[in-house]
Amino acid sequence: MASNDAEYSPGFWGWLNKRLPVGKFMREQLLEYYAPKNFNIWYFFGSLALVVLVMQLFSGIFLTMFYKVGETTSFDSVEFIMREVNYGWLLRYLHSVGASAFFVVIYLHMYRALMYGSYKAPRELLWLFGMFIYLALMAEAFMGYVLPWGNMSYWAAQVIINIFGTIPVIGPGLVEWIRGDYGVADATLNRFFSLHVVAIPLVLLLLVALHLVALREVGSNNPDGIEIKAHRGADGKPLDGTPFHPYYTVKDIVGIGLFLTLFAVVVFFVPSFGNLFLEEANFEPANPLSTPEPIAPAWYFTPFYAILRAVPNQRLGALLLLIAVMAFFFLPWLDRSPVRSIRYRGWWFRGFLAAFTVSFGALMWLGLKPISPNYLTAARVFSVGYFAFFLLMPWYSRWDRVKPVPDRVRFHE
Amino acid sequence: MTDAEASDDQELVDADRRKFLTAATSATAAVGVVFAASPFIASWQPSERARALGAPVTVDLSKLEVGQMITPMWRRQPIYIFRRPPELVAQLAAHDGRLKDPKSADSEQPAYAMNERRSRRDDIAVLIGVCTHLGCLPKQRFEPGDAQLGTDWPGGFLCPCHGSRFDLAGRVFSGSPASVNLRIPPYSFPDENTLIIGEDGTSTASGAA
Amino acid sequence: MNRSALFAAALLGAACSLSVAGQEPAAPAAEAVPWDSWQAGNEVSNVASLQRGFRNFMNYCVGCHSMKYVRYSRVATDLKIPTGMLKADLLPDGAAPADYIHASLQAQDGVAWFGKEPPDLSLIARSRGVDRIYRFLKTFYLDPSRPTRTNNLVLDAAAMPAVLSDLEGVKAAVFSDVKVTVDGRTITEKKFDHFVTVVPGRMSGPEFDAFLRDTVNFLDYAGEPAQVDRRNLGVWVVLFLLVFTWLAWLLKKEYWKDVH
Repeated sequence: MASNDAEYSPGFWGWLNKRLPVGKFMREQLLEYYAPKNFNIWYFFGSLALVVLVMQLFSGIFLTMFYKVGETTSFDSVEFIMREVNYGWLLRYLHSVGASAFFVVIYLHMYRALMYGSYKAPRELLWLFGMFIYLALMAEAFMGYVLPWGNMSYWAAQVIINIFGTIPVIGPGLVEWIRGDYGVADATLNRFFSLHVVAIPLVLLLLVALHLVALREVGSNNPDGIEIKAHRGADGKPLDGTPFHPYYTVKDIVGIGLFLTLFAVVVFFVPSFGNLFLEEANFEPANPLSTPEPIAPAWYFTPFYAILRAVPNQRLGALLLLIAVMAFFFLPWLDRSPVRSIRYRGWWFRGFLAAFTVSFGALMWLGLKPISPNYLTAARVFSVGYFAFFLLMPWYSRWDRVKPVPDRVRFHE
Repeated sequence: MTDAEASDDQELVDADRRKFLTAATSATAAVGVVFAASPFIASWQPSERARALGAPVTVDLSKLEVGQMITPMWRRQPIYIFRRPPELVAQLAAHDGRLKDPKSADSEQPAYAMNERRSRRDDIAVLIGVCTHLGCLPKQRFEPGDAQLGTDWPGGFLCPCHGSRFDLAGRVFSGSPASVNLRIPPYSFPDENTLIIGEDGTSTASGAA
Repeated sequence: MNRSALFAAALLGAACSLSVAGQEPAAPAAEAVPWDSWQAGNEVSNVASLQRGFRNFMNYCVGCHSMKYVRYSRVATDLKIPTGMLKADLLPDGAAPADYIHASLQAQDGVAWFGKEPPDLSLIARSRGVDRIYRFLKTFYLDPSRPTRTNNLVLDAAAMPAVLSDLEGVKAAVFSDVKVTVDGRTITEKKFDHFVTVVPGRMSGPEFDAFLRDTVNFLDYAGEPAQVDRRNLGVWVVLFLLVFTWLAWLLKKEYWKDVH
C-alpha cells in the first residue's frame, strides 16, 4: 500500500500508483470512509442492487450472443437459448429472475429511505439520482420484457405505448413515433433491443456512478437519522462510524451470500415463480389478433397499473399514474419534519407510512387481477391511501409530535 | 486499523482466526466464482443446433468420374472428394523425397489414412480442402506436368493465397509455406458407391444421437 | 454460531421442501373429484413414463401437431432411447434423428379441415399448464350439433376432434339447469353434472388416465427439457451458497467484535 504522497512503494505497485491513484482511491473509499456503526438489515439493499446490476449485465451480454432480434426470429431464438445453447436455460433464468430480483431489492432500498429520511437534506440529490435510476430501470425492464416477443410482450408494448397517446395534442403522433409503425411491429422490437442492450445500460451505469459519488460526498444516513460527522474523536474520525473496510465489506458479503442463496432457490426451483416472473401467456408467440386474458404488466408495475385502471377517465388515469411515480421526486421538499428517522417521528407519519405500505401492496395485488366491481372499489380506496402519504405530507410532517433525537446512535448488535 | 481494546494475547488469537476465516471465505468464494463462470464459458461451446448441423453427411459416388472432384460441406468445411486415376496413385511414392511429411507423421488424419495414399481406398480421396498454412481453399491441379508448376508436377493442389502445393494424397511439398499435409476427416464406405463423412465406426464425431 | 446453524438449516429445509413441492401427488380417482380440479399427477423425472408419453405422442398427436423446437435426437438422449429403436420404431419416414418434430398435416389443410391450424405443442405445457391439458383431453363429449360431433368442457367449441375416443370410449355429458343470479336478474344456466359412457373404449378408466398422464408428462418435459437437470444442479448450488454464507457470517462476527 502507498504510504504518503512523496514516497511510493517499490516495484509494480509503486510504478502503477505514480500513474494512476489506485491505492489512494482504495484507501480513501474503503479504509478512510467511515460509515455509521448502526446499519441494520435495511442497509444491505444498496450493495445487493449493485450485485444484481452486474449479474444482469453478465447474463444479458451472454444472452445477446445467441438472441436474434426480429419479429420472425426473436421467439424462436429464445427457445434456441433455452434448449440448444449449453446452459442457455441458466442464462435466461438468471436474467428473467434477476429482473424481478432487481425490483425487490430496489423497492426495499427505497423503503429504507422512506423510513429513515435518507432523502432529506443534504441527501436530496442522492435521492434524485436514485429516482432517475428507478425510472431508467422501469424503462429497461419494460423494453426487456418485449424482446422475447411472446404474446404478453406484444400486448404489454401495445398497452404501455398507448398510455403515451393520452398526452394532449402530441399523443397520437408520439405513439406512432415510438412504435415506428402503425402498430407494435418489427421496428418497435428492434429499437427496444438497441435501447435495452446499449443505451439504457450506459445511462444506468452513469447514474449509478453519480449516485455513489453523491453518497460519498454527503456520507450515509443511518437508522437513527443523526449525522455521525457531528461527533468526532481525538483522531478526527466519527465516533459513531467505522471504516467501511473491513467492517462493511465483510458484512455486505454475508448479505450477498444470503441473497444469492434465495436467488438460487428461485432460479433453480421456481424460476416462473407461480406465473409472476415468467407469465404463461408469454410462452405463446406474439399474436396481434388475440389479447391474453387477463392482461397485466409484470408485478413490479402493477401498483401503478392498478391506479391507472381505478380512474374511469383514460387521460386522468394516465396523469395520475405519472403523478404516482413522480411524487417520489418531491419527497425531500414535501417532508417538513425536523426529524429524519421514523424512530423519532410521531404517529401521523407512522400512520401514513403504514397506510402507504398497505396500499402499495394491495395495489400490486389488485393490478394482477382482472377487473371486477369489488376490485375497482378497493383499487380506488388504496389509491387514496397511496397518494395521501405524499399529498398530505407537508401538513402531517409538521403536526407530528416528534421524540427527542439522541446525540449518538443507539443500535442493537 | 482496528480499535480492539483486547489484551495482546487475545489480539494474537484474533488475528490468526481472522486470517484463517478470511482465507477460508476467500477460497470458497474463488471456487464459487470458477463454478459460476463455467456455464457462461460452456455456453460458447457449439450448441445442439451446431452439432446437429455438423452431423455426418452422406455422399453418392456413383456419378463421380475419374479426375472429377466434388466439394460437399461438412462442419462448415469444404471436403474435397475426388476419384484418382490408378496410374497416378501408383506413382505417389516416387516423389516422396520432395515432400515435407511423406509418411504423415506430423499431419492429422485417422489411422486408416496413415498410409502412402492417405485414404481407405486407392481410387477415392477424401481431404479437408483447407490449406494447413492459413486456411485458404487450395485449387485443384490434377494434370501432371502443368505448365505453371513444372514438368515434374505429379498432379495435386495449388493454394492461391501463398503458393503451398499438395499432391494427390494431400501431402505438402517442400518449399511450401504450409508445414503439414491436408487434414483428413473421419469417413467410411457403407457400400461401394456411398461415402459417409463424419462417421467411421470407431467413434461417431460428437453430435446428435 | 447456533443462530447461524439454525438459520442455515431453515434455508436448507426451505430448499428441500421447494424441490419436493415440485413433484405432484398421484391423481385422485376422477369420479370423486370435480372435473375442474383434476390433476395430471405426472413426474418429469420418471423416464419410463416419458418414453410411453413420447410413443403416445408419435402415435396419436404428431399427425396434426408439430413440436418445432424439439429434436428427435434430443428426446432420444434425454429419454434414453437407443438410436436404433428411434430410427426403427419412432422416427417417421424421411426424417433424420437431428430433425425437429414436424406434423404430417400441412398448415393449409389444417385450416380447411378444422377451421384453424393445430397449434404447435412444444410449449403448450408452459402456456396452459399440464393440469389444464389433462382435463382438456379427458372432457370430450358427444355433441351432434358440432362439425366434429364432439365438444369439450375445458375449451368450448374446440376445433380438435376427440382423437382418443377409441382408447377412452365415447361419452355424453349430462347437464342440469341451474338458476343463477347475475346483476340482480335470475337466469337459467346449464351446469355440467356428469358423464355417461355411450361406447366403451379399449382402455379402462385407470388405464386411460395413466395413458394421459404419460402423454401430458411428455408434454411437460418437452416444454422445458432442462428442468430435471435444473433442479439437480440447484441442490448443489444452494448447498454451496449456504456453506459460503455460513463462512462469511463467521468472518463477519469475528471482525465485528471490534465494533461496539
